[in-house]
Amino acid sequence: MDLFELVNFYVVPGIVLGSIYALGAVGITLIFAILRYAHLAHGDLATLGAFIALAAVTGMGVSPYVALPIAVLGTAAVAVGIDKVFYEHLRERPKIVTVMASLGIALMIRAVVQVVWGVDTQTYSRGIVRPEDYFGIRIRDREIYTLLAMVVLVGVLQLFLTRSKWGKAMRAMSDNPNLALLSGIDNKKVVMLTWVIAGGLCAASGFFLGINTELKAMMGWHMLLPMFAAAILGGVGRVEGAVLGGLIVGIAEELSVLVIPSEYKAAMAFAILLFMLLVRPTGLLKGKVL
Amino acid sequence: MKTKLFALAAGMMAATALASVPAQADVKIGLIGGVSGPIAAMAPAMIDAAQLAVQQVNEQGGIGDGEKLVGVVGDSACNPQGGTDAATKAVNIEGVVGLVGPHCSGAVLAAAGSVTIPAGITLITPSGTSPEISGLEDKGTVFRTVPSDDFQGRALARTMKEMGYGKVAVAYLNNDYGTGLANAFKAEYVDELGGDITQFAAHEEGKASYRSNLAELAKGGADTLVIFDYGDGTGLTILRQALENGFFDKFVGGDGMKSDAVINELGAENLSNFVSSSPVGEQSESLDKFNEAFKGVGGDPDAIFANTSYDAAFLLALAVEKAGGKKEDVAAAVTEVSNGEGEAILPGEWKKAKELIAAGKAIDYKGAAGEHNFDAKGDVPGTYALFEVGSNGFEVVTEMQ
Repeated sequence: MDLFELVNFYVVPGIVLGSIYALGAVGITLIFAILRYAHLAHGDLATLGAFIALAAVTGMGVSPYVALPIAVLGTAAVAVGIDKVFYEHLRERPKIVTVMASLGIALMIRAVVQVVWGVDTQTYSRGIVRPEDYFGIRIRDREIYTLLAMVVLVGVLQLFLTRSKWGKAMRAMSDNPNLALLSGIDNKKVVMLTWVIAGGLCAASGFFLGINTELKAMMGWHMLLPMFAAAILGGVGRVEGAVLGGLIVGIAEELSVLVIPSEYKAAMAFAILLFMLLVRPTGLLKGKVL
Repeated sequence: MKTKLFALAAGMMAATALASVPAQADVKIGLIGGVSGPIAAMAPAMIDAAQLAVQQVNEQGGIGDGEKLVGVVGDSACNPQGGTDAATKAVNIEGVVGLVGPHCSGAVLAAAGSVTIPAGITLITPSGTSPEISGLEDKGTVFRTVPSDDFQGRALARTMKEMGYGKVAVAYLNNDYGTGLANAFKAEYVDELGGDITQFAAHEEGKASYRSNLAELAKGGADTLVIFDYGDGTGLTILRQALENGFFDKFVGGDGMKSDAVINELGAENLSNFVSSSPVGEQSESLDKFNEAFKGVGGDPDAIFANTSYDAAFLLALAVEKAGGKKEDVAAAVTEVSNGEGEAILPGEWKKAKELIAAGKAIDYKGAAGEHNFDAKGDVPGTYALFEVGSNGFEVVTEMQ
C-alpha cells in the first residue's frame, strides 16, 4: 500500500469524521464542565439540526451551506427550550436524574424527527460527487469545508471563552460554581449560553455528517458513543481537548480496519473510551475527573 | 391550577382509552414490520398489502361468525430488540391470534425465539430470508412466504457466473440477513463454481464512513463489489462511497439493495453498472388478481415483498378460520390450507374459502408470490430475477435459476 492510498482512503476520511465528532464533543464537554452531567440527547439534537437544514434546503431552495446558520440558530433555540422545559426542574436533584431525563429527551427528539420528516434516508442534494485530485490527494470540497468549519467554529468559541466577559463567566462556573455565584455571575444566563453554544455546535456536527453521507433518523444516535469517547479522551471541560479527541477517535476508527476485522470497527470508540477511563481518567489534556 | 390541569388531562386520556377499546368480537392479527430503521422505505407497501388482505376478509363476511379481522401494526425497527418488543406487545397486550412479520431476519429470530414460540403463536414472515430461520426449533409455528436466502445466494452466484463476472469482493451487513445471504453466496460461488472471492468482510451499520472498509475490499483486484445490505441504510452509504471514489466498476446487490432510495439518492445515471437480485412472483392468475386488487387500493404491486406480505396475511386469515379461532390450532391449519390438496383458492377469494371451510372441504391457497406448499421447516421454494436500473426504476435483466 502506498502513502497516497493510506492518506486518501484512511486518513482523509478519518479527519473528516474526526471533525464531525469534534463538533459534537465540544458541546458535550461544555455541558459536562458547566452543568456537570452527561447529556445523552446530544446525538439526536445533532440529527434535529441536520433535518432543520434539510427543511431549509427543500423549503426555501437555498444551498446547504446557507441552511447551516439557520440550522445552528434553530437547534440552539430548541436546546434552550428543552433546558427550560425539562432540565431546569431537575437542577437541584441528583445528576443521574437529569442524565436519565436526557435519554428520554433523545427518544422524544428522534420521534419528532421521524414524525415530521419520515423515516426514509434523505440527502441534501441528489447524485454523487467525485473528489478533486490535489497532487495525488483526493479530497471533495465538502470535506475541506467540514474541516474549515470545525476549525473556525472552535477557534471562535475558544476566543469567546478566553476573551469575553461571558466566556470568562462560563469558565468560572466550570471551575467553581459556588464561588462564581458569590462573585455575582448570573447562573441562569450562563446555563442558557451553554445551551446556545452546545445546540449550535450540535447542529453543525449533524449537518456535516449529513452532507458527507446521508440523513437518517438514527444518524446522531450512532455518533453518541464516539463523541463521548472524544470528549473524555481530550479531557472533560477542555475545548481543544475535545477537538484533539475527536480527530484521534475518527482517524483511529478508520485506521482500525487495517489491523482488525471490519465488523469490529464500531467497537474502536468504545475501546478508546474504556482505555482512557482506566489509564488516564483526566484525559490527554488534564480535564476534570468525573 | 396544575393539579386541575393534570386531572383534566387524565380524564381525557381515560376517555380516549375507553373509546378505543374494540368490540370483543374482533379477531386481531399482528402486522409487525420495520416501519422505522433501515428498511423503512419498503415497509409501507408491505403493510398496505397485508391490510388489503384484512380488508378483503372483512368485506366478504369476516372471520368466523361474522367477526371483524383487525390488523394491529407494530414497529420492529428491523432489529432483534425492536422485534421482541413489538411481538411481546402484540401477543401479550393486543392478544393476537398470529403474526405477519417481523420483516427483518434478526427481528424474526428474536421475536420467534423469545415470544411467539413459547406462547405457541403462529408467525408468518413475508421477508425474513435468513437461512437461520429454517433451523429454528419452532414446533411448526414459524413459516415464511418468501424463500430462504440459501436459494437466493446460490441463484445469484450461478447467474453471476453465467454472466461472466470474474473476481468479486463481498461486503455484508453484520446481522442475520447479511451473514446468511453472504455465506450462501460464498458457498456456491467459490466451492461449487470455482469462482474467486478476493475479500469477504462484514461491516457494522450506522457508521459515517466506509471508505477504509472499501479500500480493504478493493485490495486483491476485484472489479465487482457484491453488497448484502439494505439500500435504505448502510448499503446506500457504501454504494455511494464506492461510486464516488471509484473503488469498483460493477456492483451487485441482494434483495435488500433493491430499494427506490438507492435510485432516488444516487440518481439512475450513476447506477448503470448496478444490478440486484430479488424474489419475483411467478406469472400466474393469482399474481394478476393480487396486482389488480392492490392497484385498486392505490398500491404499487411491483413493490418488493408486497405480494409475499399479502399472502402471509391472507394465509394467516385462512388458517385462523380453519382453526375456528383457536390460537393453538392455527399453526397446523396454515399447512392444511396450503398443501397442494383440495379446492384452489386464489387471492381475494375469501367468501369461497369460508364456505368450503364451513362445509369441511379441503382448500389449497395459491398465493400471489407462489403456491406456498410449505416444507417441514416452514419454507417455500422461490424464483428470482436480476434487476438493473432503467429509466423507470428497476427493470428485469434476466430470470435466475
